[in-house]
Order: sequence, then C-alpha cells, then structure tokens
Amino acid sequence: MIRRREVAKRVFAYELVRSTYQIEDESQPKYVLTPTGERANRIFSVAVLLDKEEIGADTNFWRLRLADPTGTFFATVGRFQPEALEVIGEINVPELIALVGKIRVFEGTSRKLVSIRPEMISAVDLSVRDYWVLETAKRTLERIKIMEERGNEDAELAWRVYNPDLEEYREMVRKAVTTVKEDVEVMERFEEEEEEIDFTGFELEEEEFDLTDLLEE
Amino acid sequence: MSRAEVLTDQILERIKGQDVRVKREEILKRMKLLIEEFKVPESEAVRTITSYLVREYGVSREELMERESPLVRISEITKPNQWVSLKAKVVQLWDSNSPNVSQVGLIGDETGIIKFVIWTRAEMPEVQEGRSYLFKNVVTDSFQGRMQVNVNRTSKIVEIDEDIELPPREIQVVGAIISFQQNSGLIKRCGECGRVLIKGVCQVHGKVEGYDDLRIKAVLDDGESVYEIILNEGNIAGLTGIDLQKALEIAKENLDRNAVLNELRNRLLGRYFRVKGLRGGRYLLVEEIEHHKPSVSEFDHILEALA
Repeated sequence: MIRRREVAKRVFAYELVRSTYQIEDESQPKYVLTPTGERANRIFSVAVLLDKEEIGADTNFWRLRLADPTGTFFATVGRFQPEALEVIGEINVPELIALVGKIRVFEGTSRKLVSIRPEMISAVDLSVRDYWVLETAKRTLERIKIMEERGNEDAELAWRVYNPDLEEYREMVRKAVTTVKEDVEVMERFEEEEEEIDFTGFELEEEEFDLTDLLEE
Repeated sequence: MSRAEVLTDQILERIKGQDVRVKREEILKRMKLLIEEFKVPESEAVRTITSYLVREYGVSREELMERESPLVRISEITKPNQWVSLKAKVVQLWDSNSPNVSQVGLIGDETGIIKFVIWTRAEMPEVQEGRSYLFKNVVTDSFQGRMQVNVNRTSKIVEIDEDIELPPREIQVVGAIISFQQNSGLIKRCGECGRVLIKGVCQVHGKVEGYDDLRIKAVLDDGESVYEIILNEGNIAGLTGIDLQKALEIAKENLDRNAVLNELRNRLLGRYFRVKGLRGGRYLLVEEIEHHKPSVSEFDHILEALA
C-alpha cells in the first residue's frame, strides 16, 4: 500500500540539530523525535542559504549550510533530488530560501549529525520567512505545552530521551519572534506609508537579512 | 453464524426468485473453501461463486447483480468492499491518468465528499460537474488510506432532478505550497472531453489537436495536514499575473512550454497562501486563494504568551 504523504513539520534550526533520536519501526516511515516531542519525517523551513559547496568537482552533490534566526543546520542535495538540484545549481549565496526535505541522522564517531535532504528549494522573500517564524513559534509552543502536560506518548518519549529544559526552547522561540517582529513592523509601516507618499524618484534600498548574530554562534 | 454462512445466505437471497435448484450446502462448501481455506478476499469469493452459478445453473447474471444496494450517506462509508447506492452531486472531475479509468473526481452529499472512479470497463455515460445523480450499486474501496467508491459494470448512474446540497464545511487554511504535481503548468486539453493530453494523446480520443489551458495541481501543507489543491487559470492569474495568453507568450519566447511551469514554480513554491474552500478528505476545493502575510499583532500574541 502506498503511504499517505507525510506532513512537513515546522521546527527551528536550534531544535532540529538536537533531534538525534530516530524512531525505529519497520512498519512506518522513518521518524525523528525532536526534543519537544515532535515526530517528524519531513520538515518545511525558511532559512538563509549561507554556503553551497560541491563535494568533489562535477559530482553534482552539494552540501548546503543554512541558518534561521535560531541557529544553523546542514543539508545535502544530490541527483536523487532533481528539482532541488536544478535550483541549487543556479542560486547565488547568500539567499533566503524555502525548503522541504526529509530529515536524516548520521552517526559519527563522537556525535550524531542531523542533515536535511531537500526535495524542494525555492528562493523567497522576507514575508515568507516572517510567517514561517510565526507559524513555527506557534507550533513549538503547542508542543511545549503538551510536554508540560505529558499529553501524549511522543511527549513521554521525548522526556525519557532528551529530558529537555523547556525554558531553553521558550527562549529560542522568544528570540526568533523578537528578531523577526522588528522586520514586520518596518514592513507594515512601509506599506502604510506607501499608500500616501509617492515614491517616484526615490531609490529604495532593499532590506537585508541580518546574519551577524547568527554567524557569531 | 460464520462469515461463509452469512455470505452464502446473501447469495441465496438474491437468487430466491429464480427457478434455480442449487443446494445451500454446495454454495457453502465452495464459500468455506475459498475464504477459510484459501483466504480469498470475501468480495472475490462472492464474485467467483456467482460466476459459477451463472455458468453451471444458468442463473441470469443481470438478476444476480441487479440487487438494490442500500442507499447510504457518504459519511456512512467507512469500510471497503461494501455495495452501496448514493445520491450525490459531482463536485469536481479530474483528469484520469489511466486508460482503465473513464472518469475520476469527487462527489458529495450533505454529509461529505468522497472520491469516485468510473472504470472504462463499466461503460457508463459520462457524468458532469455540478449535476446530481443516483449512483446505484457502487463498491466502496480504500486507496492510500482513504475511502472511495468505484463504479463498475453492474452499477447504474441515473441523473436526478434534485440539487444535492454539499456539506457546509467551508474551511480556511493558511499553508505553504510545497510541491507541484504532474501535469501542472501550460497544458493541452482534449477538445472532445477536456482531459489533459499526455504527449498530445488523449486517453480516450487518441491523438488530437487539443487546446491550451493553464492549471496547477499542488500540495498545500500547514504543518498539521496536507491538502491537494487545483488552481485554475483564474486563480493563477490572480496570484501571479500570468494568464493563459501571457503563458503562451512565455512559452513562445523560450521555445519551451516548460518555461511556464518553471516560472510558476519560482513564483509560488515555498510561499504561504490563505485558501478558502470546501474540504473533502485530503482535497481542498479552492474557492478563493491569496498570498498570506503575517501581522505584527500575531507576533505580539506569541510574545505575550511567553511572558
């Protein structure tokens, strides 16, 4: 039987790279359990593509480094993801992108590495990032609430596997929302003014996504 | 009573009126052999035995098949392999990707919306979107975890002079378009039946000239559910400014019809949309679609919740 399409979960990078526990069950698709109890096979993220690096010349196998307002993560694109590969070939870094992909956990000698296999990559504008942060913040807070109530099996499992400090994840949400809110305020003001003022003759600078504090981490 | 006995009695019930001298034990023996010993699915076992009765005892196939399946509501369809009759309106017709399928799409009544398939072998007259029909003797089925109904040779479709109401389940979803499905973009449709041509060939009418159309089959994902949506030319033009004429220009400039698809991908994939429409299973019938942007107040709500 063909399985139903897996929902793309919303998880911030900070939480994503800590999601190293795989739920092994032959009868199901592969899921990764996140520290706040999300069971994810696929994610949707909006992040800045910081770097793309072809592993070996002309291999068409790329390693991508990405960042959202909470941290960085990796993704790899190869010939089995033709649509994403086509976009990556042409894209210039840094660029804000939306991506959908499967989560993979690689076992290293000393630690585990979480990486994404993108199925879709698309260059997007800031408003998409803004809504993604909002949506991901909402989803994360919902999960934190379930964790507090020990509301379902995945929450119980997450407590056993990660024993997370939920305040740490609340802080992550707060940081992401605060960072992006300023941008949204600027955009709203801009749009309000736009209706009144005639901008012809002005050169408007496009807003840049501020990466400095992410790079320092 | 065992399942074999129940099914045997059902068959006997159907041939009761006919002058057929067949022993219950004989049918039961075959039924037990098929379903208990060989583990054949029940519907197959019934079909095998009815064919046997037609062949060996001269039972009229029509009589056997022309039984009245119970009239049910769509919401009552929860199990596969049930024979039912439905009064429903054709909500949406899709393109069939298989020559075995004559028509496929969604039908609905007051209680819900369900996918239907009319097999080519059923040789049914074509149904039309927006019209209501009595679907007699159709079989429920489960495909990819969802219920559907199949129209086969023994079914009947009768148009009824009644406008079936659809469920008042209009919903609004904000989600991201995360994937385009096959046959999206600038497509050609068959002039006869409107089906999408694949490499210039209509599944039913063969190689035809066809006419151009613009449409997208997409997957919308809100982090909790996935919905399949179909955007028509009007929806696409509203979102991107690309209407059919513009699409044809893009194709001409690039000497490639796929250029239109690439352009639409670049403009729509990964973006958020607010979609208003009717929900039927995993399908969302688009009534309105627009780009979605967040407002500052939404961020404040979250920060308040965190305080």
